[in-house]
Amino acid sequence: MKRKKWLTMVGITSVLMGSMLAGCGGGDEKTAGEDTSGGKDEKIEVTLAGWGGNPSEQKLLQQTLDEFEAKHPDIKVKLEVISEQYMDVIKTRLIGGEGPDVFYLDAFEAPALIETGVLEPLDKYVTDDFDINDFEKPLLDAFKGKDGKIYGFPKDYSTLALFYNKKMFQEAGVDVPKTWDELREAAKKLTKGTKVYGLGVAPELARLYYIAESKGGKVVTDNKASFADPKVVEALQPIVDMHLKDKSAAQPSEAGAGWGGEMFGQGKAAMVIEGNWAIPFLQDTFPNLEYGTAEIPTINGKKATMAYTVAYVMNKDSKKKKAAWELISYLTGKEGMKTWTSKGYALPTRKSVAAELGYDKDPLRGPLVAGASYATVWQNGTNLPIIMNNFNNQFVSAFLGERPLDEALKEAQETANKEIESK
Amino acid sequence: MKRAFSKKEWREAGAGYLLLSPTLFVLLLFIIGPIVFAIFLAFHKVQLLGTTTFQFVGIDNFQRMLEDTRAKIALWNTVKYVIIVVPCQTMLALVLAATLNAGLKGQKFFRIVYFLPTLTSSTVLTLIFMWMYNQNGLINHFLKAIGLPTYNWLGDPDIALNAIMVMNIWSTAPFFMVIYLAALQEVPDSLYEAAELDGANALQKFWYVTVPYLRPVTSFVVIMGLIGTFQLFDQSYIFSSGSGGPNNSTLTVVLLIYQYAFKTLGTMGYAAALAFALAIIILVATLLQRKFSKEESLY
Repeated sequence: MKRKKWLTMVGITSVLMGSMLAGCGGGDEKTAGEDTSGGKDEKIEVTLAGWGGNPSEQKLLQQTLDEFEAKHPDIKVKLEVISEQYMDVIKTRLIGGEGPDVFYLDAFEAPALIETGVLEPLDKYVTDDFDINDFEKPLLDAFKGKDGKIYGFPKDYSTLALFYNKKMFQEAGVDVPKTWDELREAAKKLTKGTKVYGLGVAPELARLYYIAESKGGKVVTDNKASFADPKVVEALQPIVDMHLKDKSAAQPSEAGAGWGGEMFGQGKAAMVIEGNWAIPFLQDTFPNLEYGTAEIPTINGKKATMAYTVAYVMNKDSKKKKAAWELISYLTGKEGMKTWTSKGYALPTRKSVAAELGYDKDPLRGPLVAGASYATVWQNGTNLPIIMNNFNNQFVSAFLGERPLDEALKEAQETANKEIESK
Repeated sequence: MKRAFSKKEWREAGAGYLLLSPTLFVLLLFIIGPIVFAIFLAFHKVQLLGTTTFQFVGIDNFQRMLEDTRAKIALWNTVKYVIIVVPCQTMLALVLAATLNAGLKGQKFFRIVYFLPTLTSSTVLTLIFMWMYNQNGLINHFLKAIGLPTYNWLGDPDIALNAIMVMNIWSTAPFFMVIYLAALQEVPDSLYEAAELDGANALQKFWYVTVPYLRPVTSFVVIMGLIGTFQLFDQSYIFSSGSGGPNNSTLTVVLLIYQYAFKTLGTMGYAAALAFALAIIILVATLLQRKFSKEESLY
C-alpha cells in the first residue's frame, strides 16, 4: 500500500517535470521542423542580419537578395532585421553561439570586434574575379585587422555634405559658403531669432571629428583620448561660439526636431551638414523643399569631411561558410552592389559601380561623392566608442554654455582615459 | 536531547521535497543560480565575446568603482531621484486616496481615471511624454500660454532628470493610491467619531487619525517605492536612447550597469560588481527606512 503511494507520487512528479521540460524543448523542435520544411530540396539557409532602413530601402535589399537566390538556387537567405540596439543584440547573440552567418558591421565598431576574434578573415575566399582593387581603399582598409587580414567588405558608404535651403539663401541674399568663415557669416544672416537657425549642428564626435582635427590636433593618440589638445579646442570653439555668441546655430532638439534632416526639412535650419541618408528622407517627407548640396566649406583652406561605411562580415562560428561567402561576394560584388545602390539610398564603394551609376554627376549626390577622396573614415582603434561617449557627454555642456570648452574637454579626456586604463 | 529523524519522518520530508522539486528546480535555475553566478562574475574579469575567459581579480572591480566618475554621477543622479520621487509619490498617493475615499460623487469614475497611468506600459508612457516634452510640444505650449518660461526638457542637462521625475511620480502614484485606498477601508469609523466628539476638523482627523493608522501601509509603500526608484532604467534609457545624456544627467546606476554589461566589451564583471553594490545600497536604504519608521510591521 505504502509502496503504491510512493509510486503515484513519483509518477506525478515526473509527469510534472516531464511536461515542463517538454514545454521548454517544444520551441526547438518546432523551429527544427520549420528548417527542414523550408529546405525541401536540401537548400542551405544562410542568415543575414542587419538593421532596418526605410521601406523602400528594405524593398531594394530584398530585390538584391532575390536576384542572389535566383542565381544560387541551392542557397536560401533568411533576412533578420534588428531594429534597435543592433550591436548589443549582435554581441549577445555571438556570445550565445546564435550569431547570424553574415551581418552588417559599422566601421566604427569594427576594430574592437575584429580583435575579439569572432569574425572570419575573408582573404582566403577572395578570387581574382572579385576584384578587390576596385574598392575605394580607405573604405576597405577600415575593415582590416591588425594582422593585415580583411574581415569585411564595405557594402556602401556616405560622406557628409552641406545641405542648404535655396529659398532662404535667396531671401537673405547670400551665396553658398566656400570657407568656414563664410559659413559663419552666412549663418548670421540666415538666422531669424529662434524660428530659423542658420546652421543645424549635431554636437557629436561622429559629426565633428574632421573639424576637431582640422587645426592639426588629434582626437585619438595611441588608442587613447587626446582631444583636450589646445589645437582641437581651438578648432571646435567656432561651433560653440556660433551657438552661444552668434546664436546662429542650434542642435535639432532645441528646435523640436529629432535630427538634422528633420530640422532642415521643417525649415528650422537654413543649413545642415548631413549625409546621403538625408536625401531620400527629404524626398519622402518634405517633397516640396527646394534645397541644394555642396561640399563642406574648407577650414584653413583644406577640404575635409567624414565617411561612414558599413561592411558585410562573416561569423567565424558559421557552419555554412561557403554559402555565406557566396552571399557576401554577391552583395559586395559588382552586380549585387549595382542593384543595391541603384536608387541612391547608399553610395557604392566600388569605383567601377560608382562610375557606371554616375553619382558624381548627380546634382545632389555629386558633392557627397567628391568628398570620398579626402574624407576621414569614422573609425579609430578599439577605444573610439568609449572616447566618443565621453566626448559627447561633455561637449554638450560646453555647447550649451554651462562651462568653457577647454575645461569640459579636459575632464572628458581624463574620464575617458581612466575608463580605458581600467579596462 | 538531539534525536535523529525517524524513518517515517525522513520519508515524509522526502515526499515533500519530491513534490516541491519542479518549483525548486525552477527557482534554482532562474533565481538562485543567476544570483550566485552574478556574485561569481563580480570578482572576475570577464571576456565573453570570442574566447570566453574568467580571470579572478579579487576586489578589483569594487575598487574600480571608487575611481569611476560616471559611477559616482550615476549614483548621485539615482539618489537625487529617489529622494525627490519617493516622498512625492507617497504623499500624492495618500492625498489621492483620501479624496477618493471621502464619498464624493462619481468617485468610481475618478478611481478608474487615476489608475489609468499605471496600466499603461512605461515605454509607451515615456514615448508619449517625450512628445509632450518636445521643444514645440504640448507642455511648452501650455507654459507659454500661461506666461511661464519654456524649457528644452529633453536636451538641457539641468532639466532632463526632473522631466523624468515628474513623469514617474505621475505614473506610479496611482498604484500606491490603490494600496492606500484598500487600507483606508480598514480605518474604524469609531476613531473618527471619537475625534469628532473631541472637536477635530477634517484636516485634523486626516492628520491625527488617518495618517497614523496607515503607518504600516506607508512603510510598505515607501519600501516598494525605494526599490522601484533605485532601479530606474527604462525611462532614462528611452529618454537618452541608451546614452544617459545629455551630459550624463539621466545616467542612472542600472543604466550604467546595462552599458558596462552589453555596450562595452569585456566589462561584464565590473557590471556585475555594480549590480551587487546597488543591491547592497537598496538593502541599506530599506533597513534605514524601517529603523526610522520604527514600525514592527510585517512588510
